[in-house]
Amino acid sequence: MVKEETFAFFLGCIMPNRYPQIEKATKFVMERLGYKILEMEKAACCPAPGVFRSFNKADWMVHAARNIAIAEKMDADILTVCNGCFGTLQEVNKRIKEDETLRLKVNEKLKLLGDYKVNGTITVRHIAEVLGYDIGPWGIEDKIIRKINARVAVHYGCHFLKPTKIREIDSSEKPTIIEEFIEALGVKSIPFKEQLTCCGAGGGVKAYDGNASMTIFSEKMVNIDEVKPDFILDICPFCHLQFETGQDYLNQNQSCNYDYPVIHLSQLTAYCMGMDQEFIGLQYQKMGRDFLFGEKSTEEGV
Amino acid sequence: MSKTKEHESKEFKTDNDFDPDFFKDIERKSNIWSCIQCGTCTASCESGRWTALKTRTIIRKLTLGDLTVLKDPDIWLCTTCYQCYERCPRDVKPTDVIMELRNYATKLGNISPNHRAVVGYLKNYGHAVPINDEVKQQRKELGLEELPPTLFKFKSEGDTEDIEKIKELLFDLPEEKEKEEEK
Repeated sequence: MVKEETFAFFLGCIMPNRYPQIEKATKFVMERLGYKILEMEKAACCPAPGVFRSFNKADWMVHAARNIAIAEKMDADILTVCNGCFGTLQEVNKRIKEDETLRLKVNEKLKLLGDYKVNGTITVRHIAEVLGYDIGPWGIEDKIIRKINARVAVHYGCHFLKPTKIREIDSSEKPTIIEEFIEALGVKSIPFKEQLTCCGAGGGVKAYDGNASMTIFSEKMVNIDEVKPDFILDICPFCHLQFETGQDYLNQNQSCNYDYPVIHLSQLTAYCMGMDQEFIGLQYQKMGRDFLFGEKSTEEGV
Repeated sequence: MSKTKEHESKEFKTDNDFDPDFFKDIERKSNIWSCIQCGTCTASCESGRWTALKTRTIIRKLTLGDLTVLKDPDIWLCTTCYQCYERCPRDVKPTDVIMELRNYATKLGNISPNHRAVVGYLKNYGHAVPINDEVKQQRKELGLEELPPTLFKFKSEGDTEDIEKIKELLFDLPEEKEKEEEK
């Protein structure tokens, strides 16, 4: 049996190495909610489902299994905050749990990497799923100290929901898990055109062809700009990076004038649970540095 | 099965390094022979809307035994958004097909220099996106450890065993091929 209310916190790459404020916020939120968060020593890249799986699917699985094995040793389910990490680890974990032959094959190579073995004893979770379903909008109400009154553009990204047959979280055509949760924080999701499309960064495209990635992204921004949200809310550091660097790129190269703050669900929830604005870390980001949640606070919140 | 015979008897456009098990393999891992060329994949493609990626054409070529797909730069424009995968009425799993194609293309050495660099980061830092000084500073300001407790931290403290093994055993990319014609 895995330990209850305990998570092995899988950091991945972009969050600890580009947006540590999301890491800070996630720990804050989970610990305040009563979970025990354990560090996964020697964990590495998940590895990214679009890039590394493209090169060698078998090695992608083995490398992912190494991360899973670390959490198994700790006897704790994995918590991810990134759609990419979730995509890789959830899928590989599910497959090694369901397919014994595959598990044996993976273990065969895995042992060459050191004292690692997967047994299929844990589950891989995404923070949006933990907040949206385990805590739920009904459960967060008592835990927050303030609500913010904002209209936001919610970006689900791709790998949190899809493939739906593997993830089994919510519909990929009309999901509501984030909208329902943030409503409890006072935040209203405003629908926009093509809301569920990709940010354009995944599948190795951002590295392979930056222009193509920016073209896909620019349409996303046009659609978001039409509804003028207070900020963009995401659940994935890679989407986060794309929204941050992408707006900057479009401003510089296509004479756009975007300055939408990009905020991860962990950051938003941490603020509502009482974390100081300075730790939310918008001052470290490229967009919306001056944005203050406080400015939009309502009295009814507390 | 007769349909297997049928595609085995096809005359493939030859490539010296071509793996003859490729078609069997891709059939086992996906469902390409169920494709009815309805075009739902291309119509749903978020990349193809802007780029030259035409998923339906790729799958058509594949069923016809056209090996040029393995050299097609467009297969690298898929963002793996899975929209085609979700919507395919024949359960072909086009995203997985493209992944398989990329795996084979990689074996043939058809990998972009940028992607080689990303693999290099993984092998040297354990991360696809390594840390930098600015973020180290931010981590300190936020009250976090300067280096996260990942493989890279252990490497920088002299514990290189794991990362050396990963470097040696995983994601071994073939040497870059000499450019044939190009530009």
